[in-house]
Parts: sequence; C-alpha cells; structure tokens
Amino acid sequence: MIAYVLRRLALAIPTLFGIVVLVFLLLHLAPGSPASAVGSGESGRRVSAAAREEMRRLYGLDRPLPERFARWIGRVARLDLGDSFVDRRPVSARIREALPATLALNGLALFFTLAIGIPIGVAAGGRPEGPFDRTSAIVLFALYSMPVFWAALLLQTLLSVKLGWLPLYGVSSDPPPTGLAGVADRLAHLALPVTCLTYASLAFFARLVRAGVVEARSQDYVTAALARGVSRRGALWRHAFRNALLPLITLLGLLLPGLLSGSVIVERIFAWPGLGRLYFDSILSRDYPVVLGLSLIGAVATLAATLAADLAYAFADPRVREGS
Amino acid sequence: MKIRRLLAILVLAIACRAKEDAPRPAAGARPDPTAAPAPALGFLDESREGTPVEGGVLRRRLIGEPATLNAVLQSGLPEQQVLQYVSRQLVDFNPLLALVGNLAQRWTVSDDGLEYRFFLQPDAVWEDGTPVTSADAVFTIRRIVDSKVPSPVFKPLFESLEVIEAIDPTSFRTRFRDRDAFHAYAFALPLLPAHRFEGQPFLKARDNRAPLANGPYRVAKWKTQQSIELERNPLWKGAAGHFDRIVFRIVPENSVAYRALVEGDLDETWIDEPLKERSASDPRFQSCCRVVEFYNLDYNYIGLNNRSPLFSDARVRRAMTMLLDRPAIVKSLYAGSARIISGPWAPDSPAYDASVTPLPFDPHGAGELLDRAGWHDSNGNGTRDRAGKEFEFELLVSAGSNAGRQIDEIFAAELLRAGVRARIRPLEWATFIERVDSGAYEAATLGWAAADPNPDPFPYWHSSQFPPRGLNSSYFSDPAADRLMEDARHELDPEKRRQIYHRLHRVFREDPPVVFIANATQKYAFRRRVHGLVTSPLGLFGFSPGPLSWWGTPDEDVAATRK
Repeated sequence: MIAYVLRRLALAIPTLFGIVVLVFLLLHLAPGSPASAVGSGESGRRVSAAAREEMRRLYGLDRPLPERFARWIGRVARLDLGDSFVDRRPVSARIREALPATLALNGLALFFTLAIGIPIGVAAGGRPEGPFDRTSAIVLFALYSMPVFWAALLLQTLLSVKLGWLPLYGVSSDPPPTGLAGVADRLAHLALPVTCLTYASLAFFARLVRAGVVEARSQDYVTAALARGVSRRGALWRHAFRNALLPLITLLGLLLPGLLSGSVIVERIFAWPGLGRLYFDSILSRDYPVVLGLSLIGAVATLAATLAADLAYAFADPRVREGS
Repeated sequence: MKIRRLLAILVLAIACRAKEDAPRPAAGARPDPTAAPAPALGFLDESREGTPVEGGVLRRRLIGEPATLNAVLQSGLPEQQVLQYVSRQLVDFNPLLALVGNLAQRWTVSDDGLEYRFFLQPDAVWEDGTPVTSADAVFTIRRIVDSKVPSPVFKPLFESLEVIEAIDPTSFRTRFRDRDAFHAYAFALPLLPAHRFEGQPFLKARDNRAPLANGPYRVAKWKTQQSIELERNPLWKGAAGHFDRIVFRIVPENSVAYRALVEGDLDETWIDEPLKERSASDPRFQSCCRVVEFYNLDYNYIGLNNRSPLFSDARVRRAMTMLLDRPAIVKSLYAGSARIISGPWAPDSPAYDASVTPLPFDPHGAGELLDRAGWHDSNGNGTRDRAGKEFEFELLVSAGSNAGRQIDEIFAAELLRAGVRARIRPLEWATFIERVDSGAYEAATLGWAAADPNPDPFPYWHSSQFPPRGLNSSYFSDPAADRLMEDARHELDPEKRRQIYHRLHRVFREDPPVVFIANATQKYAFRRRVHGLVTSPLGLFGFSPGPLSWWGTPDEDVAATRK
C-alpha cells in the first residue's frame, strides 16, 4: 500500500509541472495583454502607446518568456504567488478573501447533490424501467438541459421579485443581522445560488448512481442475498449500492476540485464574491499572476483529489491495491 | 419618459459597459462657460425643483469592483464613481463643459499657453486635519509622470510636462513643452496626500484601498466584491451632498441590477435598450422608478484601415458610409434615440458643426463610387474585384457588444448586395482592442467613449499618430486635415478654435477616414425617491456637482417590504 501511494505521488509531480507549464504558455501566448485590457473591459478608454509600453515594462512583460516563467516558478517554490496586476495586492490575499464564499456555496451544493442524487439513483435503479425510473429520467433530463443562467433569472424573478421570499443577490443583508438571525440571513442568501448549482449536477449524479445500481442488482450476490431472505430494500442498499459506490468514488474525486473552481455564471448573477468571479475577471483583465495562482491551486486540488480517490478506491477494492 | 415600443432589437450602445463618465481631465482651454452649445433636448435639470431633503442613504450600483482608490492609479469607471465623493479635483467641468475651480480657486495661463499657475483654496483640509497644499499637487503630478507608476488615465495628459514645482504652500506652476489648447483639462485631477505616502511603496500603499478624503464623504467600509460604503467627512466645509451615506453595491449583471432597483436594493442603475423597453411594460417598475435618458459625447463608428488597399481610396470610404443604412439602425436598433453623425464628435460637442449633413444611405451612389475607384465584378462571381483582388475583408467586433454585432449584420447584408464581402469576426475585448490598436485589422466596429469633453482629434486622426506610437489606428492621413488639427490645438481662443473644427468637420465629411455611425442616448433607471438629477453631455457623473446634487425622500414601499 505504501509503495502504491509513493508511486502515485511520484507520478503527480510531473503531471503538476506539465499543467503549470501549459497554463503559463496558454496565458502568455493568448492575444491581449494587461495593458490592452485596462479600464475594466470596454470603458472605451484608449491608453496611449507610451503608457502601454510603460505598463508592459512595469509588469515585466518586456522580458523573454522563459525568464518570466523562471521568475514565477522561483517565487512559487517559495510559496509566493506574486502580486495582482490589477490591485497590486498579494494574489494569496485575494484568493483567501474569495475562498470562503465559494467553499460555502459549492460545499452545500455538493452536499445536496449527494443527498438528493443518491436516493433518487438507487430508487430508480432498483426498478429499472419502472414508473419512478421513467418519471425521474424525464425530470432529471429536463433539469439537466435547463441553462443555469436562465433558471437563475427565473428563480430570482419568482422567489425574490414576485414573492419576496428570498434575497435577490449577495451573501448577506446590509447591515447583516447578528446571532441566529444572521445565520438565517446567510442561509437565505445561499438558497438560490445553491439550488442553481445543485440541480444541474444532480441529474448527472443520480443517473450515474442508477446505472451502477442497475448493473449491480443483476449480479449473483444480490440474487443470493434475496434468496437468503434479505428484504428487497436491504439487498438494494447494503449489497447493490455498496458495489455501485465504487465508480462514485472516482467521480467524487473529480467533483471535489470543483469546490474551489467556483461557477462563473452563478457567481456573477448572484453577485457572489467568490473564486469564479475572481477567475473570470482576472482572465478578462489579463491579470496573469491571479490566473496562474488560481490555476495552480486548481491543479493541485485536482491532483490531490484524484490521488485521494485512487487511494480510497484501493482501500475499498483490494483488487486495485494488489495490482491484479 | 417617452416610451418607444418599436421592434428594437437589443441595444447596447457600443459603450455598453455601463458608462458613466466620471471626473477626469481633458479638452478646452480657459474657463469659457459659453463654449458649449446649450444642452439639447432630453437634458435634465432638476436642481431647482423641490426643497432638498437632507439625510438618508443613496444606494448606487457599480458594475465591477474598483481596482484601487488611489486617484493616480485608477483605470476604470468604478474607481471614478467612488472617488468623485471622496477626492476633490483641482478643477471640475460644469454641466456646460466649462472648467471651474474646485481645490484650485483660480489659475492663470501664460501668453504662450505653456505655463499654468494654480492657486489652491487655503482652507482645504484632508480628513486627518492636515491642509491640502501645493506639495500634494506636486507629489501627485510627479507620481503620474513617474515611469514606475502605471497611470493609464492621467499619463497621456502629462506626456509633455516639462516642469512641475511648488511656488509657495498654496500655489504651484507647471510648464509643458508644447502648446496645447487642452492642457488645462489635465488638471481635472484629484490629489493625493503626499504625507501619507512617505516611506511607503506607492503601488502597495495602505491608502490605495483606504484613501484619505478631502471631499464631502469618506470611505467607511469596503467589502471586497460586495460593497463600498461612504459616510460624511466631518472635516468637510462647503456645499455638501444631501445624503448621509452612499452605498455602492457591486452588481455585475445588468438584469439583476434592474431587479434590485425594482426591489429597492438600488436607487439607480445603467440600463440598455431592452431593459428600457421592459421597464415600459412593467407596472412594478413604473410605480417605483423612472427612466432617465440623455445624449452624451459617445459615438460609434466602423474603423477602416486606410493602409489596406481596399480602403486607401477616399471614394471607397465614402461608399462604405453610403452603404451603411444608418437611418434604419437608428430606428430599429436604437428605437429612435440616436443621432446620425458626420464627423468624429457627438453633436453636443462644441467642435461639431450641425450644418455638415451626414452622407445619405445610397447604395446606388455607393456603387458608382466603387465603380469609379476601379472595383468591378469582372469575373461575374458576384464580388467586386480590382487587379485580381476580390473586395472582401474581415470585420472585427467586440464579442460583448450586441449593438456592434447587429450593426455589422446590417452592414454586411447591404455590402453583399453591393458586391462586397465582409466576414464578421467577434473577438474578446482585450484581443479585439489589441488588434485595433496595433493596426492589424481591415475593419472594426468601435465605440468612442468620451471621458471628458476634449474634442481634440489630433491623437486619433493625425498622420503623425500611426501605431505603434499613436492611436490613429485607421492610418488616416489627409494633409488638409493634419494642418487644421495642428492649428486647432495651438489656437487658445475658443471661438477661433471652434471655427477651425468646423472647417475640419467638412474635410472629414468629404474624406471620411472611417464610417461614422451615431450618437445614441445613455439610459439610466432611478427610483422615484431620488430627486435633483442634472445631466450633461458628460453624462450623469462626470461633472460638478454631478451626483452631489441628488437628494432623496424616504422610500416607503421598500421599508414596507423585506430586508
């Protein structure tokens, strides 16, 4: 097991390096520059050539690409992500500021995806082609096909504007209430964006669980369990679902880094101060240090989660760790 | 408000990004209240209506977070909107586009137009009680010209600065290397407190996010990506704003801001044509809010690269203008709220000569011009050609500009009928503008957003300003136009300068560098509780007093609902 872990870790390092080089090149070779993006997009301000040249020099963009890369890697090795081109604050500070908002949003969304998706998937897979399976398939497909921006605006219109039940946007009221009322206020602000993020991934997840359960329930051990007199429900949850869980581990490994990446659309519509908005705005303004910092963190998180998923898989399935 | 319910498709003025010109320097020499024509139809002046109510909160919208609140480092509208409350400028523009003193109580210009002396208000103080002195002005202007400081807004205005020095604590002098009628516009400039930056790295100073105020308000709170809150500056003496607090909420999405306005979460927001139409049939909007619409100095145009063999001939450029159905664009795209232009200014600019009529939409006449320029369909494939080269080109447009894309569609369809092929290519903004600024394009749909009333066409149309050094990215070169542009910027007398511009305007009509399109209205939605609005060709914000004249009554329908 330890050898397996070490092997996987050793493999992760070149992968990480590859990702970092690729992101760096893509970003720096893409057209546009921090100087051309100045003035929050299309404010129409035209920066004079002299000012543009000076900005390039200030940001070190007049240096050759390999030199810029070496400097950046050198800083990252010292755990320094550099300063943002836009507000000149440390990249790490900007990320730290936006991280909690995104974690809360995506964490809750993931929780609800699992909490709703798994029961639906198991129930649907328990009786394939049954009425529940068919109905849920249609409903889930409809949800899956619904564009998030559209659903978000619709929900806002209905629940915030028409009925006035939920706040329109933001993370809290201004000024935020204290104590329990404060918690309730924050949860109310979370409700709509979490719903938007959940419904889209729900369909995908539930259908995957269903597929796993459908496959598992026709296995001999389920038949055997039923023959032993285990209830249908018991056979489904204790035998079929536990085996169907294996591919879910992999999927979870892929979903976890999404906790960090944020959702650009949802965060923009709900004016949510998270990482998705930071990433998007940074790309538009060609804020290279922030984009690189976020990409690096995303890459590390993906690799770590994949590694964790592999380990969990190995733990759950002896065939994997013994390499058979 | 007039309600037009035409089939107008989307309208994002090319300045579709909520554009609210904020204070910032540029054009006309000495204060000259008569320089601008009286504001045209659609302008609003409620400053004398009702008795202002003092107190309360004004909730404004920002489309994005300010990158900084350091006046020198600012680069966008959000920064300007916040700073307008916090930092006084040396001079301001009044609603008629003339310069008036603010921190500077007066100033003088030498006869040769090169040297300016400013005399500061002796009683101006910073929020910490220290006086505002000429040392602050000298520090601020020195930072602007410092090669280690990115100051995209002000740097170009001080590029020919030769000397800046204090004379005594309340006066300073500047000298420029060249004579330019518009140097004074550079001083529509907020100052920085020099003493707060001592021993601090300028780019990372604490004050960049928590600036020391010398204006009527000061920064109370800044919640990253959420809101910025201002409160009254207790040390402020002088005409103050009417509200006790100003809360700026950062709401990137237009349609969400509209809902927030109706909900009572915001008091104002920039809106586009589709939202304006929606508001007309939205009873909730009508009961709580109103649309404010006015013309400013923005306009849009289709840039043509005059260096390209396709567009080097003035006859071809005239033909291009005559092939763009501008009346139809004004009618369908802008629902009538736009004015066709015939030169590089909006009609409310003092430089614009209203007697120069725009070229008509005339496909037949355009065809003849193209024929005369040697473009015929010699091989019968439906596309004109000359010396073996087909008349086809790539028409760039910013992907974020819906209006731009629709104009391009209308243009391309008409061109096709005339035997010219245009391939529309939307590009993301930074990519788009980099290609335009470097001259690596054939045609591009562009917006001109006037941040100040400076009508000087020199940086954009003079033949000495080709890329990469200058911003004449259409490579327009006309000796007569060049001469007039030089004369105008050297002419210190406003009336004589205006006459030169009017002559230049005629040159632009006969030898159009690009296809000038129209000057469309700006639209904002306000809650009805906000009164005292004044608009100017600089918009709602880019002049004095701008938003400082607004006042508000309590918002009963909001108090009644949630929050």
